[in-house]
Amino acid sequence: MTPDERELRRALNARSGDPTPAFRARLSTALAEGRPAGDGKQAIALVAAILLAVGTVAVFLLLRHGPGLVPAQRPQTLLPPSTPSAAPVLSPSPAASAGPAVTASPTTVAAPIPLPTSAEFDAPSASVVWAFVGGLELFRSTDRGETWQQRPLPSDPGLKAGVSFVDDAQGWLLSRGSSSTQCQAEVATIWHTIDAGASWQRMDTQGIADAQCKSGLSFVDPAHGFLVASDPNYPRVIYRTADGGRTWAASRPVPDPPGFTSQPVGFTLTAGRMRSFGSTLLVPVGRSYVFRSTDGGASWSYFASAPNHTASIAFVTATRWLSLIVPAQSEETLDAGATWHPYASDYDQAAPVAPDVVFGDSAVGYATVRGGLQRTIDGGLHWSSLHTPGT
Amino acid sequence: MEASQPGLTADRLLRAKAGDGPAFEELLAPVLDPAFRLAITMLRDRSAAEDAVQEAALRAWRRIGRFRSGADLRPWFLAIVANECRSVRRSRWWHVIRSGEVALTALPDPWEVASADRLDLDAALERLPRRHLLVLVLYYHLDLPTDEVGRVLGCSRNAARVRIHRALGALRPGMAAEVER
Repeated sequence: MTPDERELRRALNARSGDPTPAFRARLSTALAEGRPAGDGKQAIALVAAILLAVGTVAVFLLLRHGPGLVPAQRPQTLLPPSTPSAAPVLSPSPAASAGPAVTASPTTVAAPIPLPTSAEFDAPSASVVWAFVGGLELFRSTDRGETWQQRPLPSDPGLKAGVSFVDDAQGWLLSRGSSSTQCQAEVATIWHTIDAGASWQRMDTQGIADAQCKSGLSFVDPAHGFLVASDPNYPRVIYRTADGGRTWAASRPVPDPPGFTSQPVGFTLTAGRMRSFGSTLLVPVGRSYVFRSTDGGASWSYFASAPNHTASIAFVTATRWLSLIVPAQSEETLDAGATWHPYASDYDQAAPVAPDVVFGDSAVGYATVRGGLQRTIDGGLHWSSLHTPGT
Repeated sequence: MEASQPGLTADRLLRAKAGDGPAFEELLAPVLDPAFRLAITMLRDRSAAEDAVQEAALRAWRRIGRFRSGADLRPWFLAIVANECRSVRRSRWWHVIRSGEVALTALPDPWEVASADRLDLDAALERLPRRHLLVLVLYYHLDLPTDEVGRVLGCSRNAARVRIHRALGALRPGMAAEVER
Protein backbone atom coordinates (compact mmCIF):
# COMPACT_ATOMS: atom_id res chain seq x y z
CA MET A 1 0.00 0.00 0.00
CA THR A 2 1.25 3.44 -0.82
CA PRO A 3 -0.35 6.35 1.04
CA ASP A 4 -1.95 7.94 -1.92
CA GLU A 5 -3.14 11.48 -2.03
CA ARG A 6 -6.72 10.71 -1.18
CA GLU A 7 -5.91 8.72 1.93
CA LEU A 8 -3.30 11.23 3.00
CA ARG A 9 -5.77 14.08 2.69
CA ARG A 10 -8.33 12.15 4.69
CA ALA A 11 -5.83 11.37 7.42
CA LEU A 12 -4.69 14.99 7.65
CA ASN A 13 -8.25 16.21 7.59
CA ALA A 14 -9.06 13.92 10.50
CA ARG A 15 -6.39 15.68 12.53
CA SER A 16 -7.63 19.12 11.63
CA GLY A 17 -10.37 21.51 12.70
CA ASP A 18 -11.64 25.04 12.35
CA PRO A 19 -11.38 27.89 14.82
CA THR A 20 -14.37 28.32 17.07
CA PRO A 21 -16.34 31.58 17.33
CA ALA A 22 -15.10 31.85 20.91
CA PHE A 23 -11.51 31.78 19.74
CA ARG A 24 -12.18 34.36 17.05
CA ALA A 25 -13.68 36.61 19.69
CA ARG A 26 -10.71 36.04 21.97
CA LEU A 27 -8.29 36.88 19.21
CA SER A 28 -10.26 39.95 18.30
CA THR A 29 -10.12 41.11 21.89
CA ALA A 30 -6.39 40.51 22.06
CA LEU A 31 -5.83 42.55 18.91
CA ALA A 32 -8.15 45.29 20.12
CA GLU A 33 -5.92 45.79 23.14
CA GLY A 34 -3.44 47.43 20.84
CA ARG A 35 -0.26 46.49 19.11
CA PRO A 36 2.05 44.72 21.52
CA ALA A 37 5.35 46.31 22.29
CA GLY A 38 8.53 44.93 20.83
CA ASP A 39 9.60 41.58 22.06
CA GLY A 40 11.64 42.46 25.11
CA LYS A 41 12.42 38.85 25.79
CA GLN A 42 14.24 38.52 22.52
CA ALA A 43 16.31 41.60 23.14
CA ILE A 44 17.19 40.38 26.61
CA ALA A 45 18.04 36.95 25.23
CA LEU A 46 20.24 38.53 22.56
CA VAL A 47 22.15 40.63 25.06
CA ALA A 48 22.50 37.67 27.39
CA ALA A 49 23.79 35.47 24.59
CA ILE A 50 26.36 38.08 23.56
CA LEU A 51 27.54 38.57 27.11
CA LEU A 52 27.77 34.83 27.62
CA ALA A 53 29.75 34.39 24.42
CA VAL A 54 32.12 37.24 25.34
CA GLY A 55 32.63 35.80 28.78
CA THR A 56 33.25 32.30 27.49
CA VAL A 57 35.83 33.41 24.97
CA ALA A 58 37.52 35.67 27.48
CA VAL A 59 37.86 32.84 29.97
CA PHE A 60 39.13 30.56 27.23
CA LEU A 61 41.80 33.07 26.15
CA LEU A 62 42.90 33.71 29.69
CA LEU A 63 43.31 30.03 30.33
CA ARG A 64 45.21 29.55 27.09
CA HIS A 65 47.55 32.50 27.24
CA GLY A 66 47.85 32.90 30.96
CA PRO A 67 47.15 35.93 33.09
CA GLY A 68 48.43 39.24 31.83
CA LEU A 69 48.26 38.33 28.20
CA VAL A 70 45.89 40.27 26.03
CA PRO A 71 44.50 38.74 22.84
CA ALA A 72 45.96 40.33 19.72
CA GLN A 73 42.61 40.88 18.08
CA ARG A 74 38.96 40.71 18.76
CA PRO A 75 37.78 37.12 18.46
CA GLN A 76 35.45 36.70 15.51
CA THR A 77 33.40 34.08 17.26
CA LEU A 78 31.67 36.75 19.27
CA LEU A 79 29.62 38.12 16.46
CA PRO A 80 26.86 35.73 15.43
CA PRO A 81 25.41 34.19 18.54
CA SER A 82 22.44 31.97 18.15
CA THR A 83 19.20 33.75 18.92
CA PRO A 84 15.68 32.52 19.35
CA SER A 85 14.66 34.16 16.09
CA ALA A 86 17.33 32.50 14.00
CA ALA A 87 15.36 29.41 13.03
CA PRO A 88 16.64 28.68 9.53
CA VAL A 89 13.71 26.93 8.01
CA LEU A 90 10.49 28.13 9.49
CA SER A 91 11.10 31.72 10.42
CA PRO A 92 9.45 34.22 8.11
CA SER A 93 12.58 35.84 6.81
CA PRO A 94 12.41 39.22 5.10
CA ALA A 95 13.25 37.43 1.87
CA ALA A 96 10.19 35.25 2.26
CA SER A 97 7.93 38.20 2.76
CA ALA A 98 9.52 40.21 0.00
CA GLY A 99 8.60 37.87 -2.81
CA PRO A 100 6.20 38.82 -5.56
CA ALA A 101 2.55 38.84 -4.68
CA VAL A 102 0.65 35.67 -5.52
CA THR A 103 -2.76 36.60 -6.78
CA ALA A 104 -4.11 33.13 -7.47
CA SER A 105 -5.60 31.20 -4.62
CA PRO A 106 -4.74 27.50 -4.26
CA THR A 107 -8.38 26.63 -4.67
CA THR A 108 -8.42 27.81 -8.24
CA VAL A 109 -4.88 26.95 -9.21
CA ALA A 110 -4.02 23.70 -7.52
CA ALA A 111 -7.42 22.07 -7.27
CA PRO A 112 -9.57 22.74 -10.33
CA ILE A 113 -12.35 20.53 -8.98
CA PRO A 114 -14.47 22.86 -6.87
CA LEU A 115 -15.67 19.93 -4.83
CA PRO A 116 -13.44 17.91 -2.52
CA THR A 117 -10.23 17.30 -4.36
CA SER A 118 -10.13 13.54 -4.20
CA ALA A 119 -11.81 11.65 -6.98
CA GLU A 120 -11.96 8.08 -8.22
CA PHE A 121 -12.60 7.30 -11.83
CA ASP A 122 -14.09 4.28 -13.50
CA ALA A 123 -13.98 3.90 -17.27
CA PRO A 124 -16.18 1.01 -18.42
CA SER A 125 -15.54 1.89 -22.07
CA ALA A 126 -13.60 4.35 -24.16
CA SER A 127 -16.38 6.93 -24.21
CA VAL A 128 -17.96 6.45 -20.80
CA VAL A 129 -16.20 7.56 -17.65
CA TRP A 130 -17.58 7.95 -14.15
CA ALA A 131 -16.16 10.21 -11.46
CA PHE A 132 -16.85 9.65 -7.79
CA VAL A 133 -15.69 12.88 -6.18
CA GLY A 134 -14.82 13.10 -2.53
CA GLY A 135 -17.14 10.24 -1.69
CA LEU A 136 -20.00 12.71 -2.05
CA GLU A 137 -20.77 13.42 -5.67
CA LEU A 138 -21.19 11.19 -8.69
CA PHE A 139 -20.62 12.42 -12.23
CA ARG A 140 -20.86 10.71 -15.60
CA SER A 141 -19.43 11.59 -18.95
CA THR A 142 -20.43 9.79 -22.13
CA ASP A 143 -18.14 11.81 -24.39
CA ARG A 144 -14.70 10.92 -23.06
CA GLY A 145 -14.79 13.47 -20.30
CA GLU A 146 -15.63 16.50 -22.44
CA THR A 147 -18.84 17.19 -20.52
CA TRP A 148 -20.10 15.93 -17.20
CA GLN A 149 -23.51 15.31 -15.74
CA GLN A 150 -24.09 14.90 -12.04
CA ARG A 151 -25.98 11.76 -11.11
CA PRO A 152 -27.84 10.98 -7.85
CA LEU A 153 -26.47 8.82 -5.08
CA PRO A 154 -28.53 6.79 -2.62
CA SER A 155 -29.29 8.29 0.75
CA ASP A 156 -27.30 6.01 2.98
CA PRO A 157 -25.89 7.00 6.37
CA GLY A 158 -22.77 4.96 5.80
CA LEU A 159 -19.53 6.05 4.25
CA LYS A 160 -19.82 5.83 0.49
CA ALA A 161 -16.59 4.09 -0.28
CA GLY A 162 -16.60 3.50 -4.00
CA VAL A 163 -18.56 2.89 -7.15
CA SER A 164 -18.16 0.57 -10.07
CA PHE A 165 -19.98 0.82 -13.38
CA VAL A 166 -20.01 -1.60 -16.26
CA ASP A 167 -21.54 0.82 -18.79
CA ASP A 168 -23.24 4.19 -18.88
CA ALA A 169 -26.17 3.04 -16.75
CA GLN A 170 -25.51 0.02 -14.56
CA GLY A 171 -23.37 0.24 -11.50
CA TRP A 172 -22.89 -0.61 -7.86
CA LEU A 173 -21.98 1.44 -4.82
CA LEU A 174 -20.25 0.27 -1.67
CA SER A 175 -21.37 1.86 1.58
CA ARG A 176 -19.51 1.04 4.75
CA GLY A 177 -20.86 1.19 8.25
CA SER A 178 -18.93 1.84 11.40
CA SER A 179 -15.79 -0.25 11.63
CA SER A 180 -14.40 -1.57 14.88
CA THR A 181 -10.84 -0.99 16.00
CA GLN A 182 -8.19 -2.43 13.70
CA CYS A 183 -10.91 -3.23 11.19
CA GLN A 184 -11.98 -6.31 13.09
CA ALA A 185 -15.48 -5.85 11.70
CA GLU A 186 -17.30 -3.57 9.32
CA VAL A 187 -20.73 -3.91 7.79
CA ALA A 188 -20.82 -3.40 4.05
CA THR A 189 -23.93 -2.41 2.13
CA ILE A 190 -24.11 -2.63 -1.63
CA TRP A 191 -26.45 -0.55 -3.75
CA HIS A 192 -27.31 -1.18 -7.37
CA THR A 193 -28.56 1.03 -10.17
CA ILE A 194 -29.52 0.27 -13.73
CA ASP A 195 -30.50 3.80 -14.69
CA ALA A 196 -27.33 5.74 -14.05
CA GLY A 197 -28.24 6.53 -10.49
CA ALA A 198 -31.74 7.82 -11.08
CA SER A 199 -32.84 5.09 -8.70
CA TRP A 200 -30.80 2.88 -6.39
CA GLN A 201 -31.78 -0.47 -4.88
CA ARG A 202 -30.20 -1.68 -1.69
CA MET A 203 -29.08 -5.24 -2.34
CA ASP A 204 -29.89 -8.06 0.02
CA THR A 205 -26.46 -9.59 -0.17
CA GLN A 206 -25.43 -12.93 1.20
CA GLY A 207 -22.00 -14.30 1.96
CA ILE A 208 -20.09 -11.18 2.96
CA ALA A 209 -18.83 -11.58 6.52
CA ASP A 210 -18.76 -8.63 8.85
CA ALA A 211 -15.10 -9.32 9.60
CA GLN A 212 -12.54 -6.95 8.07
CA CYS A 213 -12.90 -3.61 6.33
CA LYS A 214 -14.27 -3.54 2.81
CA SER A 215 -12.90 -1.69 -0.17
CA GLY A 216 -12.16 -2.03 -3.88
CA LEU A 217 -15.65 -2.82 -5.15
CA SER A 218 -15.30 -3.58 -8.83
CA PHE A 219 -17.52 -5.25 -11.38
CA VAL A 220 -16.00 -6.50 -14.61
CA ASP A 221 -19.35 -7.25 -16.23
CA PRO A 222 -23.00 -7.18 -15.11
CA ALA A 223 -22.64 -10.51 -13.33
CA HIS A 224 -19.11 -10.69 -12.00
CA GLY A 225 -17.90 -8.45 -9.25
CA PHE A 226 -15.28 -8.34 -6.52
CA LEU A 227 -14.90 -6.83 -3.10
CA VAL A 228 -11.72 -6.68 -1.04
CA ALA A 229 -11.75 -7.37 2.70
CA SER A 230 -8.67 -6.65 4.75
CA ASP A 231 -7.38 -5.79 8.18
CA PRO A 232 -3.95 -5.65 9.78
CA ASN A 233 -4.29 -8.91 11.67
CA TYR A 234 -5.54 -11.51 9.23
CA PRO A 235 -4.90 -12.30 5.59
CA ARG A 236 -6.95 -10.32 3.13
CA VAL A 237 -9.61 -12.05 1.07
CA ILE A 238 -11.37 -11.02 -2.10
CA TYR A 239 -15.06 -11.73 -2.29
CA ARG A 240 -16.53 -12.57 -5.67
CA THR A 241 -20.03 -12.69 -7.05
CA ALA A 242 -21.30 -14.25 -10.24
CA ASP A 243 -24.92 -13.14 -9.97
CA GLY A 244 -24.67 -9.38 -10.03
CA GLY A 245 -23.93 -8.95 -6.35
CA ARG A 246 -26.60 -11.01 -4.61
CA THR A 247 -24.41 -13.85 -3.34
CA TRP A 248 -20.73 -13.63 -2.56
CA ALA A 249 -17.99 -16.10 -1.77
CA ALA A 250 -14.62 -15.39 -0.24
CA SER A 251 -11.45 -16.30 -2.05
CA ARG A 252 -8.70 -18.24 -0.42
CA PRO A 253 -6.53 -15.89 1.66
CA VAL A 254 -4.48 -13.67 -0.60
CA PRO A 255 -0.82 -14.02 0.40
CA ASP A 256 1.63 -11.21 0.88
CA PRO A 257 3.81 -10.36 -2.10
CA PRO A 258 7.47 -11.33 -1.96
CA GLY A 259 9.47 -9.15 0.37
CA PHE A 260 6.47 -7.93 2.29
CA THR A 261 5.05 -9.40 5.46
CA SER A 262 1.85 -8.27 7.08
CA GLN A 263 2.24 -8.16 10.82
CA PRO A 264 -0.35 -8.71 13.54
CA VAL A 265 -1.60 -5.33 14.72
CA GLY A 266 0.60 -3.91 12.05
CA PHE A 267 0.54 -2.90 8.47
CA THR A 268 -1.01 -4.65 5.55
CA LEU A 269 -1.43 -4.07 1.86
CA THR A 270 -4.88 -3.65 0.42
CA ALA A 271 -5.95 -4.72 -3.01
CA GLY A 272 -7.36 -2.35 -5.58
CA ARG A 273 -9.78 -2.78 -8.43
CA MET A 274 -9.91 -5.83 -10.64
CA ARG A 275 -9.34 -5.82 -14.35
CA SER A 276 -10.58 -8.69 -16.41
CA PHE A 277 -8.87 -9.81 -19.61
CA GLY A 278 -10.61 -12.93 -20.81
CA SER A 279 -10.18 -15.59 -18.19
CA THR A 280 -7.39 -13.70 -16.49
CA LEU A 281 -8.11 -11.40 -13.59
CA LEU A 282 -5.53 -8.88 -12.45
CA VAL A 283 -5.58 -6.82 -9.30
CA PRO A 284 -3.05 -4.35 -7.96
CA VAL A 285 -2.06 -4.98 -4.36
CA GLY A 286 -0.43 -2.08 -2.62
CA ARG A 287 -0.29 -0.27 -5.97
CA SER A 288 2.93 -1.74 -7.26
CA TYR A 289 2.31 -5.46 -6.82
CA VAL A 290 0.11 -7.40 -9.19
CA PHE A 291 -1.81 -10.51 -8.27
CA ARG A 292 -3.49 -12.77 -10.78
CA SER A 293 -6.34 -15.20 -10.72
CA THR A 294 -7.08 -17.69 -13.46
CA ASP A 295 -9.95 -19.46 -11.70
CA GLY A 296 -12.48 -16.69 -11.61
CA GLY A 297 -11.20 -15.17 -8.39
CA ALA A 298 -11.31 -18.27 -6.17
CA SER A 299 -7.57 -18.01 -5.58
CA TRP A 300 -4.99 -15.32 -6.17
CA SER A 301 -1.23 -15.50 -6.48
CA TYR A 302 1.53 -12.98 -6.82
CA PHE A 303 2.27 -12.37 -10.46
CA ALA A 304 4.50 -9.33 -10.97
CA SER A 305 5.47 -5.95 -9.62
CA ALA A 306 6.46 -2.53 -10.88
CA PRO A 307 10.05 -1.41 -10.39
CA ASN A 308 8.93 1.96 -9.06
CA HIS A 309 6.97 1.41 -5.88
CA THR A 310 5.86 5.03 -5.69
CA ALA A 311 3.88 4.74 -8.93
CA SER A 312 0.70 2.85 -9.49
CA ILE A 313 0.21 0.27 -12.18
CA ALA A 314 -2.35 0.89 -14.89
CA PHE A 315 -3.48 -2.15 -16.84
CA VAL A 316 -3.93 -1.13 -20.48
CA THR A 317 -4.20 -4.68 -21.81
CA ALA A 318 -3.49 -8.08 -20.33
CA THR A 319 0.20 -7.71 -21.10
CA ARG A 320 0.75 -3.98 -21.55
CA TRP A 321 0.87 -2.08 -18.29
CA LEU A 322 2.06 1.41 -17.45
CA SER A 323 3.71 2.83 -14.38
CA LEU A 324 3.08 6.56 -14.63
CA ILE A 325 4.38 9.29 -12.38
CA VAL A 326 6.60 11.89 -14.12
CA PRO A 327 8.15 11.83 -17.61
CA ALA A 328 11.61 10.74 -16.52
CA GLN A 329 10.29 7.96 -14.32
CA SER A 330 7.35 6.48 -16.19
CA GLU A 331 7.81 2.91 -17.37
CA GLU A 332 6.06 0.38 -19.54
CA THR A 333 5.89 -3.37 -19.75
CA LEU A 334 4.73 -5.29 -22.78
CA ASP A 335 5.07 -8.73 -21.25
CA ALA A 336 2.86 -8.48 -18.17
CA GLY A 337 5.53 -7.23 -15.84
CA ALA A 338 8.32 -9.61 -16.77
CA THR A 339 10.43 -6.70 -18.04
CA TRP A 340 10.01 -2.96 -17.75
CA HIS A 341 11.53 -0.20 -19.82
CA PRO A 342 11.40 3.61 -19.73
CA TYR A 343 8.30 5.02 -21.35
CA ALA A 344 8.35 8.50 -22.88
CA SER A 345 4.91 9.50 -21.70
CA ASP A 346 4.35 13.21 -21.17
CA TYR A 347 2.15 12.54 -18.17
CA ASP A 348 3.46 14.75 -15.39
CA GLN A 349 2.02 14.50 -11.94
CA ALA A 350 2.12 17.84 -10.13
CA ALA A 351 3.62 16.15 -7.12
CA PRO A 352 5.52 12.93 -6.60
CA VAL A 353 2.32 11.13 -5.82
CA ALA A 354 1.03 8.12 -7.67
CA PRO A 355 -2.04 9.02 -9.71
CA ASP A 356 -5.21 7.02 -10.22
CA VAL A 357 -5.06 5.83 -13.81
CA VAL A 358 -7.82 3.90 -15.57
CA PHE A 359 -8.11 2.83 -19.17
CA GLY A 360 -11.43 2.38 -20.94
CA ASP A 361 -9.78 0.47 -23.76
CA SER A 362 -6.29 0.03 -25.14
CA ALA A 363 -6.13 3.66 -26.28
CA VAL A 364 -8.28 5.85 -24.06
CA GLY A 365 -7.35 6.39 -20.46
CA TYR A 366 -7.87 8.88 -17.68
CA ALA A 367 -5.53 9.97 -14.91
CA THR A 368 -5.86 12.24 -11.92
CA VAL A 369 -3.45 15.11 -11.64
CA ARG A 370 -3.65 16.68 -8.19
CA GLY A 371 -7.34 17.41 -8.25
CA GLY A 372 -7.49 17.67 -12.03
CA LEU A 373 -8.07 15.17 -14.76
CA GLN A 374 -6.13 14.28 -17.89
CA ARG A 375 -6.96 12.00 -20.80
CA THR A 376 -4.94 10.05 -23.27
CA ILE A 377 -6.23 8.73 -26.57
CA ASP A 378 -3.02 7.10 -27.71
CA GLY A 379 -2.52 4.49 -25.05
CA GLY A 380 -0.77 6.69 -22.52
CA LEU A 381 1.87 8.47 -24.57
CA HIS A 382 0.29 11.91 -24.60
CA TRP A 383 -2.05 13.42 -22.04
CA SER A 384 -4.24 16.51 -22.16
CA SER A 385 -6.25 18.24 -19.48
CA LEU A 386 -10.03 17.91 -19.31
CA HIS A 387 -12.72 19.88 -17.63
CA THR A 388 -13.17 18.33 -14.26
CA PRO A 389 -16.56 17.22 -13.00
CA GLY A 390 -18.55 20.14 -11.72
CA THR A 391 -16.73 22.76 -13.79
CA MET B 1 -11.76 37.94 -2.61
CA GLU B 2 -8.85 39.94 -1.35
CA ALA B 3 -6.96 39.45 -4.58
CA SER B 4 -9.65 41.29 -6.47
CA GLN B 5 -9.46 44.30 -4.17
CA PRO B 6 -5.78 45.17 -4.01
CA GLY B 7 -6.50 48.80 -3.21
CA LEU B 8 -8.58 47.88 -0.23
CA THR B 9 -5.94 45.47 1.03
CA ALA B 10 -3.20 48.03 0.56
CA ASP B 11 -5.22 50.54 2.53
CA ARG B 12 -5.72 48.02 5.33
CA LEU B 13 -2.01 47.28 5.32
CA LEU B 14 -1.19 50.96 5.63
CA ARG B 15 -3.62 51.36 8.49
CA ALA B 16 -2.37 48.20 10.18
CA LYS B 17 1.19 49.45 9.92
CA ALA B 18 0.01 52.61 11.59
CA GLY B 19 -1.31 50.55 14.50
CA ASP B 20 -4.95 50.18 13.51
CA GLY B 21 -6.03 46.93 15.21
CA PRO B 22 -9.31 46.41 13.31
CA ALA B 23 -7.47 46.94 10.02
CA PHE B 24 -4.92 44.30 10.97
CA GLU B 25 -7.72 41.97 12.00
CA GLU B 26 -9.41 42.43 8.64
CA LEU B 27 -6.12 41.75 6.94
CA LEU B 28 -5.67 38.59 8.94
CA ALA B 29 -9.23 37.27 8.56
CA PRO B 30 -8.77 35.44 5.23
CA VAL B 31 -5.72 33.55 6.51
CA LEU B 32 -6.99 32.74 9.97
CA ASP B 33 -8.70 29.48 9.01
CA PRO B 34 -5.72 27.95 7.22
CA ALA B 35 -3.48 29.16 10.03
CA PHE B 36 -5.61 27.43 12.61
CA ARG B 37 -5.81 24.25 10.54
CA LEU B 38 -2.05 24.25 10.26
CA ALA B 39 -1.66 24.68 14.01
CA ILE B 40 -4.18 22.07 15.09
CA THR B 41 -2.89 19.53 12.60
CA MET B 42 0.65 20.04 13.83
CA LEU B 43 -0.18 20.15 17.53
CA ARG B 44 -3.28 17.92 17.70
CA ASP B 45 -4.60 19.98 20.58
CA ARG B 46 -7.21 22.68 20.16
CA SER B 47 -6.15 24.79 23.11
CA ALA B 48 -2.51 24.67 22.11
CA ALA B 49 -3.45 25.53 18.54
CA GLU B 50 -5.48 28.53 19.68
CA ASP B 51 -2.60 29.75 21.80
CA ALA B 52 -0.15 29.27 18.95
CA VAL B 53 -2.30 31.14 16.45
CA GLN B 54 -2.98 33.96 18.86
CA GLU B 55 0.70 34.31 19.68
CA ALA B 56 1.50 34.20 15.98
CA ALA B 57 -1.06 36.92 15.30
CA LEU B 58 0.50 39.16 17.91
CA ARG B 59 3.96 38.50 16.52
CA ALA B 60 2.71 39.24 13.05
CA TRP B 61 1.30 42.53 14.18
CA ARG B 62 4.59 43.45 15.78
CA ARG B 63 6.34 42.69 12.51
CA ILE B 64 3.76 44.11 10.13
CA GLY B 65 5.93 47.15 9.61
CA ARG B 66 8.42 44.95 7.79
CA PHE B 67 5.80 43.33 5.58
CA ARG B 68 6.20 44.59 2.04
CA SER B 69 3.15 45.99 0.31
CA GLY B 70 2.04 43.76 -2.55
CA ALA B 71 3.48 40.59 -1.04
CA ASP B 72 1.26 37.70 -0.12
CA LEU B 73 0.23 37.72 3.51
CA ARG B 74 -0.69 34.06 3.73
CA PRO B 75 2.73 32.40 3.42
CA TRP B 76 4.21 35.10 5.60
CA PHE B 77 1.70 34.47 8.38
CA LEU B 78 1.74 30.70 8.00
CA ALA B 79 5.49 30.77 8.46
CA ILE B 80 5.03 32.59 11.74
CA VAL B 81 2.38 30.08 12.83
CA ALA B 82 4.62 27.16 11.90
CA ASN B 83 7.44 28.67 13.91
CA GLU B 84 5.14 29.15 16.86
CA CYS B 85 4.00 25.52 16.65
CA ARG B 86 7.59 24.44 16.68
CA SER B 87 8.23 26.50 19.77
CA VAL B 88 5.22 24.97 21.49
CA ARG B 89 6.38 21.46 20.71
CA ARG B 90 9.85 22.23 21.98
CA SER B 91 8.57 23.27 25.38
CA ARG B 92 8.87 20.78 28.17
CA TRP B 93 5.26 21.20 29.21
CA TRP B 94 4.13 20.04 25.81
CA HIS B 95 5.91 16.72 26.20
CA VAL B 96 4.71 16.22 29.76
CA ILE B 97 1.10 16.92 28.88
CA ARG B 98 0.89 15.32 25.49
CA SER B 99 2.52 12.05 26.42
CA GLY B 100 -0.49 11.21 28.52
CA GLU B 101 -3.04 12.39 26.00
CA VAL B 102 -1.77 10.76 22.87
CA ALA B 103 -3.02 7.33 23.80
CA LEU B 104 -6.53 8.69 24.10
CA THR B 105 -6.63 11.07 21.20
CA ALA B 106 -4.89 8.60 18.92
CA LEU B 107 -7.84 6.27 19.09
CA PRO B 108 -9.48 6.72 15.72
CA ASP B 109 -13.07 7.56 15.16
CA PRO B 110 -14.41 4.42 13.52
CA TRP B 111 -16.45 6.47 11.11
CA GLU B 112 -13.43 8.45 10.09
CA VAL B 113 -11.07 5.52 10.05
CA ALA B 114 -12.84 2.87 8.12
CA SER B 115 -9.93 0.83 6.89
CA ALA B 116 -6.64 -0.60 7.98
CA ASP B 117 -4.93 1.73 5.57
CA ARG B 118 -6.15 4.77 7.42
CA LEU B 119 -5.30 3.29 10.79
CA ASP B 120 -1.74 2.83 9.74
CA LEU B 121 -1.51 6.11 7.91
CA ASP B 122 -2.72 7.92 11.00
CA ALA B 123 -0.13 6.15 13.11
CA ALA B 124 2.57 6.88 10.57
CA LEU B 125 1.66 10.57 10.57
CA GLU B 126 1.91 10.59 14.33
CA ARG B 127 5.42 9.21 14.14
CA LEU B 128 6.51 11.45 11.31
CA PRO B 129 9.15 14.07 12.15
CA ARG B 130 7.48 17.46 12.45
CA ARG B 131 9.43 19.01 9.61
CA HIS B 132 8.02 16.39 7.26
CA LEU B 133 4.53 16.71 8.71
CA LEU B 134 4.64 20.46 8.16
CA VAL B 135 5.39 20.02 4.47
CA LEU B 136 2.57 17.52 4.02
CA VAL B 137 0.10 19.73 5.87
CA LEU B 138 0.97 22.75 3.77
CA TYR B 139 0.72 20.89 0.50
CA TYR B 140 -1.96 18.28 0.99
CA HIS B 141 -4.13 19.73 3.71
CA LEU B 142 -3.98 23.46 3.03
CA ASP B 143 -3.59 22.89 -0.70
CA LEU B 144 -0.87 25.50 -1.09
CA PRO B 145 0.88 25.55 -4.44
CA THR B 146 4.50 24.53 -4.31
CA ASP B 147 5.86 28.05 -4.68
CA GLU B 148 3.84 29.13 -1.67
CA VAL B 149 4.96 26.06 0.28
CA GLY B 150 8.47 27.21 -0.52
CA ARG B 151 7.80 30.69 0.78
CA VAL B 152 6.45 29.32 4.04
CA LEU B 153 9.52 27.12 4.42
CA GLY B 154 11.90 29.81 3.21
CA CYS B 155 13.09 27.87 0.19
CA SER B 156 12.59 27.73 -3.55
CA ARG B 157 9.71 26.04 -5.34
CA ASN B 158 11.96 23.22 -6.47
CA ALA B 159 13.31 22.77 -2.98
CA ALA B 160 9.74 22.61 -1.73
CA ARG B 161 8.96 19.85 -4.20
CA VAL B 162 12.00 17.95 -3.00
CA ARG B 163 10.85 18.35 0.57
CA ILE B 164 7.39 17.06 -0.32
CA HIS B 165 9.01 14.08 -1.95
CA ARG B 166 11.21 13.46 1.07
CA ALA B 167 8.26 13.78 3.43
CA LEU B 168 6.32 11.19 1.47
CA GLY B 169 9.37 8.99 1.46
CA ALA B 170 9.68 9.36 5.20
CA LEU B 171 6.01 8.52 5.63
CA ARG B 172 6.30 5.23 3.78
CA PRO B 173 9.32 3.80 5.62
CA GLY B 174 7.56 4.80 8.82
CA MET B 175 4.75 2.53 7.88
CA ALA B 176 7.02 -0.17 6.56
CA ALA B 177 8.98 -0.10 9.79
CA GLU B 178 5.93 -1.39 11.53
CA VAL B 179 5.99 -4.37 9.26
CA GLU B 180 9.55 -5.21 10.08
CA ARG B 181 9.07 -4.83 13.78
